[in-house]
Amino acid sequence: MYVYLYDNFLKQKKFASTIKAMETRLTDFGIAGKIIRLQNYSNSKEIVDDEIKRGASAVVIVGNDTTFGHVLSRAAICKTLFGFLPVGQENSIAEVLGIPVGIDSCDVISRRRKVALDVGWFNNRYFISRLHIPPSDITVQYDEKFSVSSRGRAKMELVVCNLQPFEWKGTRRRGDIIVHPQDGKLEAFLRPVLGKKIIRDIYEDPSVFPFEEMTVSSTTPFLVEADGKQSKETKITIRLAKNRIKMIVGRDRKF
Amino acid sequence: MFQKSSEEMPVQNEELPKDPDNVETVVGPSVHVEGDFNSEGSILVKGSVAGNVKTSQLLTVEEGAKISANVKAGEAVVAGEISGNVKVANGVELKATARVAGDISCKILSIEAGALVHGKVTMKGLESSKPSVTRKRGLTAKVKEEEVSGQ
Repeated sequence: MYVYLYDNFLKQKKFASTIKAMETRLTDFGIAGKIIRLQNYSNSKEIVDDEIKRGASAVVIVGNDTTFGHVLSRAAICKTLFGFLPVGQENSIAEVLGIPVGIDSCDVISRRRKVALDVGWFNNRYFISRLHIPPSDITVQYDEKFSVSSRGRAKMELVVCNLQPFEWKGTRRRGDIIVHPQDGKLEAFLRPVLGKKIIRDIYEDPSVFPFEEMTVSSTTPFLVEADGKQSKETKITIRLAKNRIKMIVGRDRKF
Repeated sequence: MFQKSSEEMPVQNEELPKDPDNVETVVGPSVHVEGDFNSEGSILVKGSVAGNVKTSQLLTVEEGAKISANVKAGEAVVAGEISGNVKVANGVELKATARVAGDISCKILSIEAGALVHGKVTMKGLESSKPSVTRKRGLTAKVKEEEVSGQ
């Protein structure tokens, strides 16, 4: 039995026709199933666990990058097959997974091409898309072998990409920098702040370090944003949990 | 009109870095790395590294970059400063701005005018001819001994 977790924003009228067409396509394929509408405070892990007990063979997330991160950051521990039907804007993860946005994504689900995905882990929590630390006074230690700091103790911005590409807004001359993640390893992108202009800070070109384990520490609490959720920490350890999630992916996936 | 634009295209391509996708680890200009630094992919150093650097692929040390320890790589292009021994499996390219204070061991060495090296240079091609030289010496010594005993 398939279980479909719909994001709350899909209630909007503009998505009604797409959702209806998708439901029809899924019925044609014979994989229509139970529909659960997620609310802002619903615990996705509990929902997925309950559905597994009731005999769910696959849990399909319907929504965008935020929905994907919101569900899987909690439900990554659940042992079931996950699928993703991207709808609307902000669907960069779908592109990495090789799933087209809209009705065509139903074809990918019906083919059931399964792949085990790696997930990022930090302070007893999983993150699917990316982890972001805005410019802070941080020191980074990689695999307990070497540490990275900025010269002159400048503030550093850190991004750890797992599945979601990250776009750094560059200068007019250089243009934006888009960071494309790969599956199989975590990549940390560090960017020290060189100075400040009236509107925004001036950044250096990013440094890139692939790693298995990384510790970020600071004497003052710094902001950590993982899958859209923010928290303040003084020390975090980031690891890669290999082959944690079984996921239905498309043929044109980028890994 | 069309010819002009086609002539301009290759110039734009030349400005791009050679293989941007191959570079796996990048140490930025104002970043300082401390400790032993190993990587399976290529390493591009623009900042400073205080500790051993090891990679089986290409190591690029850009102008203004500084490595203060031993270096082990598959290939190396140096335009910055290295204070330590450099052991490279294949070729080392020292640019005009390169400063190396340490021994260099490699297969192929190319040095641009202006590069500074203070240390011993060992190249793998010469090591194979060394044993034959020692044999000859050994032989001559034996011959000398025989000559002495014969007298």
